[in-house]
Amino acid sequence: MLLNYITIAIRNLRKHPLYSGLNIVGLALGIAACLLIFLYLAYETSYDNWNDRADRTVRVASDINYGGSQMGFAVAGAVIGPDCGRELPEVQSWCRFRNRGSYLVRREGELQSNIREEDVLTVDSSFFEVFPVKVLQGDPLHCLTQPNSIAISRSRAEKFFSSPQLAMGQTLMLENEDRRLITAVFEDMPQNTHFRADLLLSLVNDQEVQESPPFWGMNNNFQTYLLLRKGTDKVAFSKKFEQLARQKIAITAQQVMGFSLEEFEKTGQYAHFYLQNIPDIHLHSDLTAELAVNGNIRYVWVFSAIALFILLIACINFMNLATARSSMRAREIGVRKVLGGTRTGLMGQFLTESILVSALSVGLALLLATMVMAPYNELTGRDLSIPWAQPLFWLTLAGGAGLVGLLAGSYPAFFLSAFNAVQVVKGDPSGPGRKKVGFRSVLVVFQFSISVVLILATILVFKQLHYIQTKSLGFQKSQVIILDDAYALGDRIYAFKNEILQNPAIESATVSGYLPVPSSRSDMNFFTSRVIEVDNTVDMQRWRVDSDYFKTMGMDLQSGRFFDPAIRTDSSAVIINEAAAKLFGFDDPLGKKIYTLDNTPGSTPKPEDFKELEVIGVVRNFHWESLRSNIGPLCFQLGRSRGLASFRYTGKDTEAVIASLEKEWKSLAPDQPFSFRFLDDAFNRMYRAEQRIGTLAGLFALLSVIISCLGLFGLSAFTAEQRTKEIGIRKVLGASVLGITSLLTKDFLKLVVIAILIASPLSYYLMGDWLSDFAYRIDIQWWMFATAAVIAVIIAIVTVSLQSIKAALANPVKSLRNE
Amino acid sequence: MIELKDIERYFQTGSLKTYVLRYVTAKILEGEFVSIMGPSGAGKSTLLNIIGMLEEPTAGEYWFLGEGVHKFNERRRAEMYREYIGFVFQAYHLIDDLTVYENLEAPLIYKKVPSAERKSRIADLLDRFNIVAKKDLFPNQLSGGQQQLVGIARALIGRPKLILADEPTGNLQSQQAEEIMSIFQQLNKEEGVTIIQVTHSEENAGYGNRILNLKDGKIDA
Ligand SMILES: Nc1ncnc2c1ncn2[C@@H]1O[C@H](COP(=O)(O)OP(=O)(O)O)[C@@H](O)[C@H]1O
Ligand SMILES: [Mg+2]
Repeated sequence: MLLNYITIAIRNLRKHPLYSGLNIVGLALGIAACLLIFLYLAYETSYDNWNDRADRTVRVASDINYGGSQMGFAVAGAVIGPDCGRELPEVQSWCRFRNRGSYLVRREGELQSNIREEDVLTVDSSFFEVFPVKVLQGDPLHCLTQPNSIAISRSRAEKFFSSPQLAMGQTLMLENEDRRLITAVFEDMPQNTHFRADLLLSLVNDQEVQESPPFWGMNNNFQTYLLLRKGTDKVAFSKKFEQLARQKIAITAQQVMGFSLEEFEKTGQYAHFYLQNIPDIHLHSDLTAELAVNGNIRYVWVFSAIALFILLIACINFMNLATARSSMRAREIGVRKVLGGTRTGLMGQFLTESILVSALSVGLALLLATMVMAPYNELTGRDLSIPWAQPLFWLTLAGGAGLVGLLAGSYPAFFLSAFNAVQVVKGDPSGPGRKKVGFRSVLVVFQFSISVVLILATILVFKQLHYIQTKSLGFQKSQVIILDDAYALGDRIYAFKNEILQNPAIESATVSGYLPVPSSRSDMNFFTSRVIEVDNTVDMQRWRVDSDYFKTMGMDLQSGRFFDPAIRTDSSAVIINEAAAKLFGFDDPLGKKIYTLDNTPGSTPKPEDFKELEVIGVVRNFHWESLRSNIGPLCFQLGRSRGLASFRYTGKDTEAVIASLEKEWKSLAPDQPFSFRFLDDAFNRMYRAEQRIGTLAGLFALLSVIISCLGLFGLSAFTAEQRTKEIGIRKVLGASVLGITSLLTKDFLKLVVIAILIASPLSYYLMGDWLSDFAYRIDIQWWMFATAAVIAVIIAIVTVSLQSIKAALANPVKSLRNE
Repeated sequence: MIELKDIERYFQTGSLKTYVLRYVTAKILEGEFVSIMGPSGAGKSTLLNIIGMLEEPTAGEYWFLGEGVHKFNERRRAEMYREYIGFVFQAYHLIDDLTVYENLEAPLIYKKVPSAERKSRIADLLDRFNIVAKKDLFPNQLSGGQQQLVGIARALIGRPKLILADEPTGNLQSQQAEEIMSIFQQLNKEEGVTIIQVTHSEENAGYGNRILNLKDGKIDA
């Protein structure tokens, strides 16, 4: 029986190559898209799966509103880990990370050149106790207990020493000055971890830890993990932890600031500490000082929905074409029924057919997915591949193919098998197929609604990106070259800067680690008087710059002046931005005094511990964070910060300018890597996620439009075929080609228009939500909807006309004589 | 075998009822060869369809082998087609996508006849109707007469007790018509198959042993 079903199914497919082709290609596109999306989703949700202790490991996070700014931190003070270990018996072990960014690393000895290592963490010796990373060489429990020890990953061992065995006991030089003895080699950490490290430095005797005040809420610089004992009730533990944190913050308020927690909280300020589950971090956490760019659960949902919708669109094609064609098969069904075929048997036949189509589509989809895997990985920034060797994958795929087959085939199967034999036998074959036009229309409307939503999403995302790129930012992002490792030159960087300024193509140069793109950040408390009060504090960024900074970055003054190297008192001068002026409540900020506090941690501040600064200028607000955030308060002070050097140049002969920079660099520091980037590129990188979303939305829109159009094409071909006789008669009666084309096109166009009406409010709502992520954003305007509508209508008209025109041009005699 | 009591059938268009059959009462015994005759539009096909359970009467009773047909559900009807009834259509109604062989096989598959027996039964009939050479051809590769031969062979292959034929020779030349009629006669005489056919031709009706005349929806005695 089954064999018989299959033979007939195959024959049917081959007999109608157009419909079979449309069905298979449409479904294959849908399945391929689905497959790619689900690979991505499977990866996104697999973060920290490898860690079998993840379920009882938590990270300390905080939500702090202080001095006018509200922030969430993935980091905590150095004291919090040890405090928890001491005061909470559920804590089996704790580990702190200090992320100090990238390091220049080389083997010890002559003629070894530096390599920049990005993934470096300074960690407590308990690292391998808390995280089950496999240690290949060395003692996991004691390898990081010595002050100058380092554990490195297998790939780094192979890179620097050719093998893990050979790396043991060797020495690495960090930043040309810090000698580190390799005491362990560990297996490379998986990519799907919320943090990655290739070099682990021992935190023992770390100066920053030693100088840290013993108060919670201060010096938030350490990612802090707690490994809980087996069987700990996490909910109860969380409560307990939060209580402890409150007590500790009360102590901080009392001893550091001199007032009670209640007084502090009355001003609306607060410091809350809480615990995060490790497996939740990748998709649910987006705090300051995350160890990697995390994913976003919202995109996981959105993409799951898109995947399902695209698949549904493809299934709808199948249903529509199958039911539309049903009149042609009606006779077969009627005849089979009078031969004793049951409804179940007929459904079996049709389902076999659709499952066969689905299986062929899956095959084609696998091929398609493999072909586009490389560009797809580039797009998603992930390293995905089809898990050919996994039985589970094949099982899922087979199950999926069956399910899609059932889904796509169920409606035609029910619908067709219900045909009444007598209608057919009586020679009324066109009857049944036509009646269901209503339902088919609903499905077409559904398909096009989704397509229009995706088209609109694409338009909006790109419009927002365009807005970001062209918005005036308060600084000039183009024509600035950034040299990354400026501090590696030490004080020679200033000689380097002067040398480079000889080049007429270079207009201005500045040395500072602080840039209005991701780079160094540091915030401090500023006071309006020589005393700590509940509400005289502003927490704001303090950037150390040189006097050429403003010219190089192209920033403007609202009032006052920039720093002048000739004026000696400028060392105690400060330039604030408009946001800071507002927060301080200064109407005329020039000449106003603000204070920083520099006392021994824990001691009650005396008036002479406050250092006075005079406001000499107000710089116009510039976007020092992404456009997702409002512009926060910030100030500049003259000072040394040698992290980066930036050069504004004429914008011409870029290559020559870079060549001269490199030449000068090499002559000053032959063994330091030379690396540069452009300020505008660095700016654009902040919106990589949005660019990806935009591109993906565009691709999916394209895909859903293509699949929908395949269906529309099939339907219109079918309608044209079915109405051949009517068309013939109309032509004999004198109808024009245009008249007939529009007759055939009109019906479909109506559906597309309905789809647009449904999709518009839906997109307005969805995209409004997406845009609300941005503090600075475009308005949704009517012309965007109009554009999407016009695109959809044009595509639909073209698709349908291909068939309609053909039908309209056909010689009427032919169709009429056929009867 | 078949008992019709006061069968009535109308079609409703708007509020208007058009009666096609009215007060039709008839009894057909096993082994009869009945021809239904009458002018075009008299309701012959409708009557045959009712007998074939393709249509339901709007009133009246229909007993088939002592069972009330009005109680049959779709499953039971399918069973009837598999076990007792074979159809022959004027327009042949072969399945276009199946070869001659497969067209003949289809009812046997529904009857769950084992494959070896299917083969032998099909070979038998192909041989009997002289169409062995055509077994791998598709219907559209055959002449009308040949298609109808296949249609009859398909009706016979399940060894039905009753064959219903609606103008089986309506589309055929007289020579082919004769051939088919003699097959019917032979079936009726030698195998005792009950046959009910609709026909316009007196000549065809002559092959049978009884004529039902339909006029204005009633049977003329
Ligand atoms: N589905 C239907 N709806 C309305 N009238 C019908 C339908 N089927 C048949 N008829 C009418 O019933 C009458 C009898 O039809 P039919 O049984 O086919 O006649 P015959 O086979 O004797 O030529 C005809 O007048 C026909 O128009
Ligand atoms: Mg008739």
